[in-house]
Amino acid sequence: MTKFLLSRLGLYAAIAAPSLLILAADRPFLIQVAIGTLISAILALAWDILSRTGQVSLGHAAFFGIGGYGSALLTPILGAALGWVIGILLCGVVAVLLGAVTLRLRRLYFTIATLSFSLSIQVLILVTPGITGGATGIMPPVIAGGSPPLQLLFITGCLVAAAIVSDVFLGRRFRPAFFMIRNNPDLAAASGVPVTRLKILAFAVSGMVAGLAGACYCGLYGYVIPDDVFTTNWNVLPLAVTILGGMDTTIGPVVGAIVLRLLEEAARHFVGGVGYQVVYGAVIILFIAGMPEGLVGYGRQLIRRSRRSSERAPVKASLAS
Amino acid sequence: MTASVVQAVLLALCMAGLYAAVAAGLTLTVGVTRIINFAHGEFVMLGAFLTYWLHTRFGLSPWIGMTVSGVALALLSAIVYRSFLARVLKQDEHNQLLATLGLSILILNLAVIAWSPDPRVMQAPALLPALNLGGVTIPGNNIAVALVGLLLFLAMYAIRNHTRYGTQMRFASDDPGLAMHAGINVDQIFELSFVIGGAAAGVSGGLVALVLYVQPTVGVDLVIRAFAIIALGGLGNIPGALIGSAILALTEGLISTFVPQGGSWGFGIAFLILLLVLVIRPSGLFGKQVPA
Repeated sequence: MTKFLLSRLGLYAAIAAPSLLILAADRPFLIQVAIGTLISAILALAWDILSRTGQVSLGHAAFFGIGGYGSALLTPILGAALGWVIGILLCGVVAVLLGAVTLRLRRLYFTIATLSFSLSIQVLILVTPGITGGATGIMPPVIAGGSPPLQLLFITGCLVAAAIVSDVFLGRRFRPAFFMIRNNPDLAAASGVPVTRLKILAFAVSGMVAGLAGACYCGLYGYVIPDDVFTTNWNVLPLAVTILGGMDTTIGPVVGAIVLRLLEEAARHFVGGVGYQVVYGAVIILFIAGMPEGLVGYGRQLIRRSRRSSERAPVKASLAS
Repeated sequence: MTASVVQAVLLALCMAGLYAAVAAGLTLTVGVTRIINFAHGEFVMLGAFLTYWLHTRFGLSPWIGMTVSGVALALLSAIVYRSFLARVLKQDEHNQLLATLGLSILILNLAVIAWSPDPRVMQAPALLPALNLGGVTIPGNNIAVALVGLLLFLAMYAIRNHTRYGTQMRFASDDPGLAMHAGINVDQIFELSFVIGGAAAGVSGGLVALVLYVQPTVGVDLVIRAFAIIALGGLGNIPGALIGSAILALTEGLISTFVPQGGSWGFGIAFLILLLVLVIRPSGLFGKQVPA
């Protein structure tokens, strides 16, 4: 048990270490890039938690946006801490409702329903300018007084929190159930797994973590506009990040966010501001077709193989039996 | 007032023809191979660009444009199937969905890079004479869209239900293992249905160029509606898709005409329809109760 705990603590330290290094380097551009990367890692972790139950969402921009708008609208009324908590809980409530109605939808229908849900939320914001400011958006208070290094520190903390949540759902208690639900929901139900409850739980947790990412994002610069937080970018990004890094892991989305950000910067350099998302498509295709376990899964395979080959040499004779 | 209602209804029915055309190709592919082809919308978008390009560069009539698009997209579908999808077909459903999604994002953004995200209008000559019904005028191109859409739709229906290949397709989709034992080349049949779906996407793309803006995101907009329509009609149920497209186009058309700012509600409506139907009947209004 302690060994497990130590390895987890090591993981969280490894997640936080790059941010601290960047903070020490004190380069404004790097800090901005790091903040963006960490936010996509949080969003990707949220997506992955849901995907472990076999529910492929294309609507996480909705929770991202609701988290941003919720925290932005509630902070002036309730104060920063409570405003964020309630804003994120709101994401959980919306996620439970959406989860309940989409529960019976199988793969394709589920994905389409989440996608059109996120587009509908955007329309809802646009037609209620009285509350949400419509297309012009609103101006929430900035986090950490607008100082980028403090913001980076705060968002690193959020990422570690998201990683802990993700680990809970990879633990002994949830992992086997989620795995069964994804592969054969009927068999899972027949074996006594509470399929409905777990699917909705995964949805609620995933929605809240995505909301946290949205709240972080909107608090960075102090403005929220629907064209920014509800773009398909935020729907597609978590998929690409998670597939690149490795699904069903905590470290995967973090690694994926970093590598994708590098690829993205390279793509921006070659094709400019529009169309850089081409790397998302390419990454998804290449990894699904060639390396479905992602970078982390591939790395683990390499380690296992090298370990096995080093073990194999002395015990060659016993293999024959 | 009545004239404007009649006009809105007729124009919406013309749009229904386009929706039906997109959904018909998609429902054939999805119904047979069970590959949830997200990239169908991007195939439609490529067809629209090809038709637009043939018209503006070479002055070719959109009739020729949509035929060429159909052939071109059929070829592209064959290439995509052989190089990529056949391999993904062996993986689990989760990955199949992600793979076609990746393909869709890739094509969409390549189009953005190559042609910029700006919308374009094809200044097409009227393909058919306009229809005048006592104060109500329907432009000829909208009528052409409705007719070709319906024709395409009927063609898909006929292929699936009244040809030898169609019988094999239905067999292969019901039970690929048994079909293989009966001597059907399942892989080839899957490829064929994918190619036919691609051809339909290409022709629908020609229709898009006639009545909508030609832009890289046009495919996403249409494929979401097509999925809502398929959900309404039930997976693989081709007549159901026809009724579904009429319902969707009518609600959308009437709301965008008579509700202020209603033009952008299309997605919301598609989503609501999808939810309502699926909550009441998870396999669509007219679908058999089989999981997608």
